[in-house]
Amino acid sequence: MFDAVLNEHQSRVDKLQVAAICGLMLLGGAFVYSATMVSEAAASASWYNLGWVRQLAYYVLGVAAGTSVCLVHYRTIARWAYAVYWASILPLVLVLIPPIGTTHGWGAMRWIDLGFFQFQPSEFAKLAFILAEAHFLSRPVEELRIPLNLLKGLGLMVLPFLLIMREPDLGSALVLLPTGLVMLFVAGTPRRYLAQLLCGVAALGTLFLVDVLFAPPNWQVFKLQDYQRKRLMVYFDREYKPASNVPKAEQERLRKELRKQQFDDSHNVRQALISVGSGGLTGKGWRRGTQNALGYLPRAVAHNDFIFSVIAEEEGFAGSVLVLTLYGTILFTGMRIAGQARDRLGKIMAVGVVTLIFSHVFINIGMNIRIMPVTGVPLPLLSYGGSSVLGSLIALGMLQNIYMYRKAY
Amino acid sequence: MLIFDQLKKHDPKLQAVSVAILSGLGLLLAGLWWVQVVSAREYRESLETQSFRTVRIPAVRGKILDDSGNVLAENRPAYCLSMYLEELRKPFDQAYFKARDRVRAELHARMQAREKQLGRKLKKQEKKEFAFSTELKLRLKQQARYEVASNVVAELSQRLQVPITLEATNFQRHYQNRLALPYPLLANVDPTNIARFEEQLTSPLGLDLEIQSTRCYPYETVGSHLLGSLSRNNNSAEGEESFFNYRLQDFRGVLGIEYGYDKELRGLAGAKSVQVNNIGYRTTENVWSPAEPGENVVLTIDLEVQQVTEAALQNAPLSTYSPVRGAAVVMDVRTGDVLALASSPTLNPNHAVRGYPPGEYQRIVELFAQKNRATQERYAPGSIFKTVVGLACLEAGFDPKALYYVAENPAEPGKGYIKVGNRPIRDTASPGNYDFRRALMRSSNSYFITNGLRVGAERIVRLGHKFHLGERIGLPLNQETAGSFPTLERLASGWSDGNTANMSIGQDPVLVTPMQIAVLTSALANGGKVLWPRFVTKVESQDPTSGAAPVLYGPRSVRDELGVSARSLSILQEAMVADTEDPEGTGHRAAVPGLRICGKTGTAQIQDEHNRKIGQTTWFISFAPYCPPGSAEKPRWAVVVMVENGKSGGDSCAPVAQKIYGALLNRERRANGHASPLANVNPR
Repeated sequence: MFDAVLNEHQSRVDKLQVAAICGLMLLGGAFVYSATMVSEAAASASWYNLGWVRQLAYYVLGVAAGTSVCLVHYRTIARWAYAVYWASILPLVLVLIPPIGTTHGWGAMRWIDLGFFQFQPSEFAKLAFILAEAHFLSRPVEELRIPLNLLKGLGLMVLPFLLIMREPDLGSALVLLPTGLVMLFVAGTPRRYLAQLLCGVAALGTLFLVDVLFAPPNWQVFKLQDYQRKRLMVYFDREYKPASNVPKAEQERLRKELRKQQFDDSHNVRQALISVGSGGLTGKGWRRGTQNALGYLPRAVAHNDFIFSVIAEEEGFAGSVLVLTLYGTILFTGMRIAGQARDRLGKIMAVGVVTLIFSHVFINIGMNIRIMPVTGVPLPLLSYGGSSVLGSLIALGMLQNIYMYRKAY
Repeated sequence: MLIFDQLKKHDPKLQAVSVAILSGLGLLLAGLWWVQVVSAREYRESLETQSFRTVRIPAVRGKILDDSGNVLAENRPAYCLSMYLEELRKPFDQAYFKARDRVRAELHARMQAREKQLGRKLKKQEKKEFAFSTELKLRLKQQARYEVASNVVAELSQRLQVPITLEATNFQRHYQNRLALPYPLLANVDPTNIARFEEQLTSPLGLDLEIQSTRCYPYETVGSHLLGSLSRNNNSAEGEESFFNYRLQDFRGVLGIEYGYDKELRGLAGAKSVQVNNIGYRTTENVWSPAEPGENVVLTIDLEVQQVTEAALQNAPLSTYSPVRGAAVVMDVRTGDVLALASSPTLNPNHAVRGYPPGEYQRIVELFAQKNRATQERYAPGSIFKTVVGLACLEAGFDPKALYYVAENPAEPGKGYIKVGNRPIRDTASPGNYDFRRALMRSSNSYFITNGLRVGAERIVRLGHKFHLGERIGLPLNQETAGSFPTLERLASGWSDGNTANMSIGQDPVLVTPMQIAVLTSALANGGKVLWPRFVTKVESQDPTSGAAPVLYGPRSVRDELGVSARSLSILQEAMVADTEDPEGTGHRAAVPGLRICGKTGTAQIQDEHNRKIGQTTWFISFAPYCPPGSAEKPRWAVVVMVENGKSGGDSCAPVAQKIYGALLNRERRANGHASPLANVNPR
């Protein structure tokens, strides 16, 4: 029986992908360790509170969850798609209600405190969305030509999108867009619709950016959180401006203050860039990075959203290439799984998972090298965080599930 | 590609998605290549500027040694008690948290009191007054830091039994500008306190002793003018790194040998980098380039001769000033080596480094003690200039045996006088017949004025130029004046016989420094060679094992030749030896048994603008041993002594020279292995 499992054609798991996943988990454990064990104080916490121990525990939980996903045929799971979908929408609503959702002091209601675990419903909502959308789109291609069906498909995406925006968590909401669009595309939605959709999204996006970046403060239509507006302004190098109803005399003082504030706000991005850049070709060595150890890279984000900075500083360009290679392996084996999928459901679901992971990787690494604005998007498997690790491993479990029931050549 | 091959060929949509993902990853890769490889240097630099502070470390200054290796200037460790702020971070935070909680509670209580008073909840605007503002936070943090630090200081002060206070503004400034460096609490900690500190503060809270090197002159005032002084100067010298965040205390020579050989002595400052964390506290230190210690400078000065010279000068008899104001220069007439150079009153160069005791600075200013009277002040030479006038006359072919009658001064019976034009000039020599020898020995004004007028100002001035009077020597000391001496142009415009008469007796237009006169005297002794004075014989590495060859400064080439005949010089020398040996001679107080000394005394009058005498400069110039023509020996030393307002050259200066010759003879005996401790050469 084992022989059969190990046989390339009969193989029940995509071993290449599993190897890449294991590689990323090893890296994640090592660099969460490096990023959190920076001081004696941090190291002297009780062992079950240590970041890297918890991260390893999440990996174990995640692998278990991913494996259990594989136990049931994905078509059986898809039958429950809408139930799962609505079950994931519920916590998204709950998290907006103050006593249930917590802000972690970040000004955004993203977490539900379960005592032992800070649950982030948006991570699971993304998966539920992929499942439901794939199930919906797996109908015959002809049905997709009906505009109502397109609208329904979009509706499935827009509901969690708006709810997540409401938390607010711009980054997590935004990754839903490419994921949904690519799934629509692969499912065979007529190009005309897709083009219109893209134009619409692009126009809306442009309008949004122009409004946020260029409109005077009291004219703005989109009521973004202050920090979100600032992040975008930092990314596009726009100067903070005082409101125009402030008296002239105050303006100069305010302008100065805002300039300083802007400098402080762009601190994370600047420090992340310095970390990545100063790593050079080969890096400074594991646990030898100074940006994190000296506290220039803020401690609160070094081990989660900015874990890539730590890796890039300590392992240099070589480390970056390794990370990209591992992700590339997962993504392309994912695409291969999509190609080999037994049915349209499997194909669309696989593409959805791949696009989701890619969006996370692109936005997160892009933000470290300043080609994307700072948004709180974790790097799958590497960033510290239970919801993200669990979500990613469950998603990858779904991929493996599709692979296991692929059509044989 | 393997992966593409395995994708279904006939599914272009999946291929499109794959291509999109591939280009996304490619974009990331390109971006990373740009940031991590192409612009890595730039980012590394910004990393360094934000997390490193460079500190300039001064080099250990070289020593100054005398000719036999006695240390005249060196460095001693000074212990400085410093507070390391980064070790106080925890207490700082704790104190701040305590203060914060207290203030918050207070604000809250006040807000509630106000609400009670008003009988309603406060509006948002009104609440602002009771908010915990950033400003308040910063102020509390500052207060907490000061409180913690001053507690540490108070404890230290109590343990050491030394009053130390922590100045709030100083501390604040240090915290803001020099956080990466320890805060200096107590400089020059004495051994008792070092012991107390080490014993009593078993767990010194962020305190430690730092060693700094300080300049020290073990013989205190000895050679103070020649050695010179330092001033605080942390600037980078040529060839050193010039950008530093911080500079540690350093000194640079401003006067004397410390100035002239500053480049050799100071070495090359090093640099260390201090790594700081995001709030600016020190985390680690790393020396980039160690400081290269300066080199030792070996002087021509002989410590014993210098000490005797200074002591003798300070005890010069019959001087109106107390302390004595004067100078003495001892030179080797063969090489130009300066064996001693003294100026009185002296000062203590240690004070410039460690601070002046009360009243000392004022004393120095009042006495002009900082002035090197041997090189930096101009004096009329008086009768000692008659040697030059006499030499000019002898060269012009005057007969030294020719007699000249000095007429009696009607106003002052028993003394001579001479009339130049309508002006009578007094002559201390008694009336009678004078030949060259007797005239020089008795220093007859009448004789030298008459003969000076006969030989003419031009010959005298030309000879003076050979001696380079009125010119700077270019001493490496930053304390030199050129003096003054008439030029040939000056002779051509409105020069009168009165001027020549004045010049013939070393008055008005001629002004010299004792150093110039030492060169002049050496030239009279060594057969007419005008030498460059030499102060330094070699510059060598501080580390004897370094193997670096010392830089030797051999005797410099002769500056000028007088071009006078040996006959003229020997007639002059014979007359000069009579000055100390003949009972009639004015310089007989310089006589030393067993040493024949050629001498000449001088007393120059100092007049105010109304030609009233306000003081006098007394001189004694000499060289020894006297060697009559044909003897195999050659003169070796020139000794020049000048005392402001002495009684006369013979009374005030010659006895000083006598003691100096004693020391010189002793030095020679020492060199020959017959040491006799004449002077106390132990450093204080």
